[in-house]
Amino acid sequence: MRPSAQIIGSILVALAIAAVAIAVVTAHFGPTSSAELEVQEERIEQREEAREERAEAREERREQAAEAREDR
Amino acid sequence: MEDLIENLTRGNVTEVKVVLASVLLALAVYQLVLAAVSYRKVRLRFLDSGPATWVHRASGDTIIVLAVLVAVACLSYYGFEEGGAHAVFGCLLLGALALKVLAVRIGGSSSPLLPWIGIALFGLFAATWLTSAGDFLGAS
Repeated sequence: MRPSAQIIGSILVALAIAAVAIAVVTAHFGPTSSAELEVQEERIEQREEAREERAEAREERREQAAEAREDR
Repeated sequence: MEDLIENLTRGNVTEVKVVLASVLLALAVYQLVLAAVSYRKVRLRFLDSGPATWVHRASGDTIIVLAVLVAVACLSYYGFEEGGAHAVFGCLLLGALALKVLAVRIGGSSSPLLPWIGIALFGLFAATWLTSAGDFLGAS
């Protein structure tokens, strides 16, 4: 193989190594785009709302059961 | 300086530093392979000693620029106080880099010191990465 081809090949390998390192580390950080982060935040908010609604419903049921017991 | 770094990294100073430090470590591993081919300790059919030496130097120049950028960001944003072992390894690393450049300029590429400084440099790169980026990635 010609020396110039070897040099170009080795430089391409170095670039590939750098690209793989960047990809692996940024993948470890998770989503970074603002759109993806917004979707994530929305999902968390929805989950919290659903949890609060369930807790309220449980509380209401408990109160109704207590009232029914008092009526009897 | 702190504001400039914060603006350039859009507030993700640590993340950018971790990515650059990881690229540096990966390139340092590649430098070891290229040096081994260059000194004919490893013989590859598709890469001769001459081209390996040339790319080792080019890649080394890139590493120096990146290492200085990371060091400037690290020192101006975090300073020495929070550093601990990382600050010590970082300073030793910059010193070893300067020593290697001097050894090449003064003694030429045949200087018997170069392989030893190179191995020490790799060890320092690994130690510096482990005490900052490694910790950060492990924790996240």
